[in-house]
Amino acid sequence: MEKILCKESFAGWLAALKGYDLYAPAFADAVWNHARIEAGTTPELDHTNTVRSVKEFAFPQREVFFRFEQTKGGAPTLTATVPDPAPTVIFGVRPCDGRAMPRNDKVFAAEFKDPYYWARRDKLTLVGLACAEPHSPNCFCQALGGAPDAEEGLDILMTDLGDRYHVKGVTGRGIEIMVRGSDAFDEARAADKKQVQERHAAARAVGQRGVNDLGKIAEAIRQRFDDALWQDMARTCIGCGICTFLCPTCHCFDINDEVICQSPCSGERVRTWDNCQFADFTMHTSGHNPRHDLGARLRQRISHKFLYFVDNHGTQQCTGCGRCISECPVGIDIVRVLDTVSQP
Amino acid sequence: MMENAYLPRIGRIAGIEEETGGARGIKTFKVEFPDGDGFDHACGQCAMLSIFGKGESMISIASSPLVKDYKQFSIMKMGRVTTAFHDARVGDMVGIRGPYGNEFPLADWRGRDLVFIGGGVGLAPIWPVIQTAVAHRQDYGKITVFYGARSSRDIMYKADFERLKGSVDVQLSVDAAEPGWSGYVGFVPANLLDKAPPAVNAVAITCGPPIMIKFVIQNLQKLGFADEQIYTTIENKMKCGIGKCGRCNVGKDYVCVKGPVYSWAELKKLPQEY
Repeated sequence: MEKILCKESFAGWLAALKGYDLYAPAFADAVWNHARIEAGTTPELDHTNTVRSVKEFAFPQREVFFRFEQTKGGAPTLTATVPDPAPTVIFGVRPCDGRAMPRNDKVFAAEFKDPYYWARRDKLTLVGLACAEPHSPNCFCQALGGAPDAEEGLDILMTDLGDRYHVKGVTGRGIEIMVRGSDAFDEARAADKKQVQERHAAARAVGQRGVNDLGKIAEAIRQRFDDALWQDMARTCIGCGICTFLCPTCHCFDINDEVICQSPCSGERVRTWDNCQFADFTMHTSGHNPRHDLGARLRQRISHKFLYFVDNHGTQQCTGCGRCISECPVGIDIVRVLDTVSQP
Repeated sequence: MMENAYLPRIGRIAGIEEETGGARGIKTFKVEFPDGDGFDHACGQCAMLSIFGKGESMISIASSPLVKDYKQFSIMKMGRVTTAFHDARVGDMVGIRGPYGNEFPLADWRGRDLVFIGGGVGLAPIWPVIQTAVAHRQDYGKITVFYGARSSRDIMYKADFERLKGSVDVQLSVDAAEPGWSGYVGFVPANLLDKAPPAVNAVAITCGPPIMIKFVIQNLQKLGFADEQIYTTIENKMKCGIGKCGRCNVGKDYVCVKGPVYSWAELKKLPQEY
């Protein structure tokens, strides 16, 4: 389904989405992030990319698994807190983040389905916005098989045509919210479609950063597992973990009990994002640590994305959004790391 | 409704046995399921135990799968959760989820000699294999159990070893000489090499501290054991138990799902991150 949405009709579309929670990029504290908007407002989709990725709409940074209460020596009462969110529409999702979600889906499905993830994920409609140009000098989506107009993982792809958007329904879930707001849309004419193609072609033609020999990287990592290059490249790393927290595909987490009251013992078992760059992520209680230094931990981050995930799921666990490069405080650059690893 | 793998069932501590004393003492806990929602497990599998308000720890199931009424766990006092277990009393209710992981292919080893090599609390993960093999004693050839601890007071399952001696060759060792100890003095890998169990038609199963496993495998190879004849179980730090939280991986394998049991033939192909 392809339609045209005049920018002044955007509010009309949102007004038709009663019962949905709506999110759009908002500029606050000097960065773009997704924020709740009310029906009737008009989202401003002139953002670059949000600093935080859309993964948190299915996999929030902190999440309560269940509440517990237990008197000393007594039987505990457990109350599961699997969420039951309203259907949620996220506007302004960049194609790199859209492509991240099917990768996250693989992790949270696999042998055991994660009920917390899927309770949210099944209610999500991702409305993408094609990039008119790379939103950062560190974009490399095309090197990873994506594109500024990639549809994978998105339910709708919007393309900015100046005073109006071209809106393409990609999935049934996307088409559903277009049908609900059908009064706001006009038919897409042949001239519109041609213009969309031109915009997409122009965006693709803008030079991005490239990755040398992507097909050979998995094997190169395997071969160079014990190479000193990991230590060299991690020399500036401070182990802050921003690379993985902001990554749209990093999914590692911790589980801990947070005690609210000591007697009777009550509290919550909580999942929080965790991070392979932290020393205690893998440290045994004996003190033995299989990934005992920053080099080993950088190697894990890269190997997970470009070797292990490829082995297990047939695709890289990276969509080239560039956040880990842009936000790294010490200039560790995943593209340079990959090029170093694959250099003969 | 999707099954909620993170929600533990409730177990009741039905018995506590003090195995060893000291700062890193080991206690064995018998856990029953008062609501009747117990579960079956296989040799080598683990369960995620929790004390509410303290957290969860992945612990090997030390009882044989043939025992249906309870599960047994031998826990060394190390961190927050294991210390809470050591402070627990009979009758306390705990959380338990699982079982997780793969199993020792014991049924494939019928007709063969079994050589078990354990060190410290690392005896617990291979204990269900020993128990199950002994329960089907006629199915197997010679069974030898090498077990070593720092000192005689650090030896687990002392009473069980006495019972085993009729049907199993038990070779105990302590790290350093002490008065009254008539067994082997020295490290486990050295005792193994000294007794030199034949490799022909045998399978070796080992678990213990990483450094012990390393030298046990080297010595097994010296004794002629092929990579396919050597099995171990590797325990990395785990949080979820279901292959999602991302920390227990060795290469592409999440140990909680693909492990913890590996033959050396399989394990040596993976990066050494355990």
